[in-house]
Amino acid sequence: MKVTPIIGLEVHVELKTKTKMFCSCSAEHFHVDPNTHTCPVCLGLPGALPVPNKTACEWCIKIGMALNCTPQNTTFFERKNYFYPDLAKGYQITQLEKPFVINGKITIDGHDIRINRAHMEEDTGKSVHIIDQGQEMTLVDYNRCGVPLVEIVSEPDLTSPEMAKDYLLKLQQIIRYLSVSDADIEKGSMRCEPTVNLKIEDNGKEFFTPLVEIKNVASLTGVQNAIQFEIDRQTKEFEQAREEKSKTNKTTRGWDAAKNKTFLQREKEGSSDYRYFPEPDIPEITFTDQEFDAIRATLPELPDQKVSRYKSDFGLNDYDANLLTSDITFAQSFETAIGDKSTSDFAKFVANLFIGSIKTYLNEQQINIDQSKINSNFFKNLFDAVSKSEISSTVAKQVIVESYIENKDPVEIAKSKGLIQVSDSGEIEKIAKEVIAQNAKAVEDYRKNPNSIGFLIGQLMKASKGSANPQLAKEILEKLLK
Amino acid sequence: MDFSTLTSKQIRQGIVDKKFTAVDVVNFYLDRIKRIDSQIKAFITVTEKEALAQSEKIDNKVRKGQSLGKLAGSVMAVKDIFLTKGIQTTASSQLLNSYIPQYSSTVYQRLLNEDAICIGKTNTDVFAFGASTESSGYFTTKNPWDQKKVPGGSSGGSAAAVAARLCHFALGTDTGGSIRQPASLCSVSGLKTTYGLNSRYGITAMASSFDCPGVLARNMEDIALATEISAGKDKFDATTVDQEIPKYSEKLESTNLKGLKVGIPKEYFSSSIDEEVKSKVLEAVEVFKKQGAQILDISLPNTDLGIAVYYILVPSEISANMARYDGIRFGQSTTGESDIIQYYMETRGKYMEAELKRRILIGTYALSSGYYDAYYTKAAKVRTLIKNEFVDTFKKVDCILAPCLPTVAWDIGAKANDPLQMYLADIYTVCINVAGVPSVALPCGFNSQNLPVGFQIIGNFFEESKILSIGHQFQKLTDYHLQSPKL
Repeated sequence: MKVTPIIGLEVHVELKTKTKMFCSCSAEHFHVDPNTHTCPVCLGLPGALPVPNKTACEWCIKIGMALNCTPQNTTFFERKNYFYPDLAKGYQITQLEKPFVINGKITIDGHDIRINRAHMEEDTGKSVHIIDQGQEMTLVDYNRCGVPLVEIVSEPDLTSPEMAKDYLLKLQQIIRYLSVSDADIEKGSMRCEPTVNLKIEDNGKEFFTPLVEIKNVASLTGVQNAIQFEIDRQTKEFEQAREEKSKTNKTTRGWDAAKNKTFLQREKEGSSDYRYFPEPDIPEITFTDQEFDAIRATLPELPDQKVSRYKSDFGLNDYDANLLTSDITFAQSFETAIGDKSTSDFAKFVANLFIGSIKTYLNEQQINIDQSKINSNFFKNLFDAVSKSEISSTVAKQVIVESYIENKDPVEIAKSKGLIQVSDSGEIEKIAKEVIAQNAKAVEDYRKNPNSIGFLIGQLMKASKGSANPQLAKEILEKLLK
Repeated sequence: MDFSTLTSKQIRQGIVDKKFTAVDVVNFYLDRIKRIDSQIKAFITVTEKEALAQSEKIDNKVRKGQSLGKLAGSVMAVKDIFLTKGIQTTASSQLLNSYIPQYSSTVYQRLLNEDAICIGKTNTDVFAFGASTESSGYFTTKNPWDQKKVPGGSSGGSAAAVAARLCHFALGTDTGGSIRQPASLCSVSGLKTTYGLNSRYGITAMASSFDCPGVLARNMEDIALATEISAGKDKFDATTVDQEIPKYSEKLESTNLKGLKVGIPKEYFSSSIDEEVKSKVLEAVEVFKKQGAQILDISLPNTDLGIAVYYILVPSEISANMARYDGIRFGQSTTGESDIIQYYMETRGKYMEAELKRRILIGTYALSSGYYDAYYTKAAKVRTLIKNEFVDTFKKVDCILAPCLPTVAWDIGAKANDPLQMYLADIYTVCINVAGVPSVALPCGFNSQNLPVGFQIIGNFFEESKILSIGHQFQKLTDYHLQSPKL
């Protein structure tokens, strides 16, 4: 029996526009006093009407373009009707028939993942369940109600939990490149609902298990674990019941992160009826091709484009190019450091410092890079000093972090710490003689086994406080010990 | 002094010239309301205190020599589906009993800004769903011409208030005839504007793609003035049009009746029409003919589809628009239920009136999967056909003249338990809403029982100026609009 998972993802991305989707309330809702960012429109008071946020619509189109989708000249909003206390109007304004953009794709490790659509909608409020003086109650906070959401729907082209994770990370990376959302899964500004079923090949026959949509997944590992759990569960289930997918047996299951399992939330998805119809309060929205061109012109260089440019222009390897471009500010800082007309050697040198030192430091501190602290001249000076062997590459890696923190020329830092590499053979010879005199045992070892010279070089480097040119040190030691 | 015989402009001038004060005008109407409204029941709320305060403010401006708004001293009654900040707004439903809105509707606010004075909130069919005010969750308004009869609806309270001289003008809304039909039954004038001319912001929504706020008054001059103030782009209503609003009140003489092409659609004079109504409307046609207008027989063959289209699309929109009345954030609610679904059902079950539930059910059904294409989608297509029919017709005629409804006012209770008969009261008005074009209703006489008959002048999109001007010429030649009921 061969099992192939079929996974599609619906991803909701909360846009960081100043105002909400259909009113002028602030769209800020994280750590804000409950119900302070509300008005008649987002509270769904009698007579209030939605007026669409133009920036949000343009950002939705922008996201679509970055995902290689086709924008549609004419679109409209629709009402999705259902009752829930945090849905103020009793319907959500969303798009079904005519989303802003359709038919895109992104590429992950050579695999195309097709994007069905990206459409614009509004977020709901938040229900908070509390116990006050022994009484259970539910409070509703409408600050999030009406915050712009873009829903990105993939085709079921993903075949493993890892691939789903990579897809999400890629989506997150692209959206962050566009600066339209924080796309933070933990904070809920990026939310994911996987739909999973299996293709099972058994005795030359093909079977498809019933579709399961998974809700309440709130972390990247959660997405992977939930999908893996479903793959295992559905495999077992099929072995026992051999139920196949039909039009009416799609179910919704919730993810319980604590118990590491999904549980049945709703059966027969086919029977739920949202009674969609065109939103009469908002006229059709049209964009001309010229307007699309104007939006396209605001797209930044995207991660894939950057990676291939770094590879072709600077000869960086795939791994380094991907690391440098993982985050747009990091990539932009790298580009600031290398300046406009970088040679391949200089770019590689800077790339090593960024990946080897600066990133390590940032990770340790758990902070993001500050592009304003990057000074191209500092990197240039350091590069020159290393080229002239005045500074060893080891020292370069040390001083660049301090240079970044203190905003000082790294060469000056090296000088002030006495870390300038000594390439004066007389000076090194003096130290070498002392090292030979103090390490009789090691000298003896060397005579038996010339490969053990490393220890003596190490002692010499130590004595010179790392400032000796190691190549020269080796040559001089070998000469003296002949 | 009888202020009800003056126009808005004359009242403002009288106040400026210190012939009388705004307080005098308000007291005149307050006095009439106190004497008469216990019989007519046009008002759900009378805002005596606010009206007096507002009129004193105007009189103070006069004392200080400050300039006055264009509607200074015009006392208005406001249909109770317009939100009025700080003043109870019920939509004639028990759902909103005691509901005090925290903001005002745009149209109402624009009129207030020009010193109009709100004297109270008028009764309507519940959430404007109806044609007689009988579906109101409070009481039924009486027709001032015969108190056994309905005033029409849904803006029945507003029409009755204007007819009974309980206000100078009134605000109403017309979704399928709700201004023109009661205007016709109460012998007052009323304008259904082009969809998108007047903002819907702050008016409880009935059917969002149909609702048209408008003015009811005793003559074209007052309607023209109030409409040029209320109309125009509102940043809070995405469906309002962004275009210059003509000064309607200055263009009332601009249309010449001589040579005017007036279309008479045969479908609006069909066999179902009351003979007396028909003959009164045809007398109005004669008035135009005598002035040299060209009377053209036309046909609007899709007319009979109007009611079907209307009663699919309108309840569909209603079913969604009513969803916000869940008792969670505002309005009446029951207490003590443990589960949210139970809470919704008990609150909506207890406080929603029957007509409201009926329309939610019809709309929910029409939108349900499996029925959506057969009902909603098809009705939306026919809507386009009806609209195109008007567009094509206006290539041939300047305006269309027709009755507002096939009958005069009927007895209270006669159709209350027969929703289908009630829905048919809209037969001559709905197509205008389905298409979105403007239409003004005005009185054209009385039948043998002295019950009013009215007619409507339908214009092309945004031709309010033209139809108001045509109506004004008619009112200069006739005196039906000057008649008042004996009270």
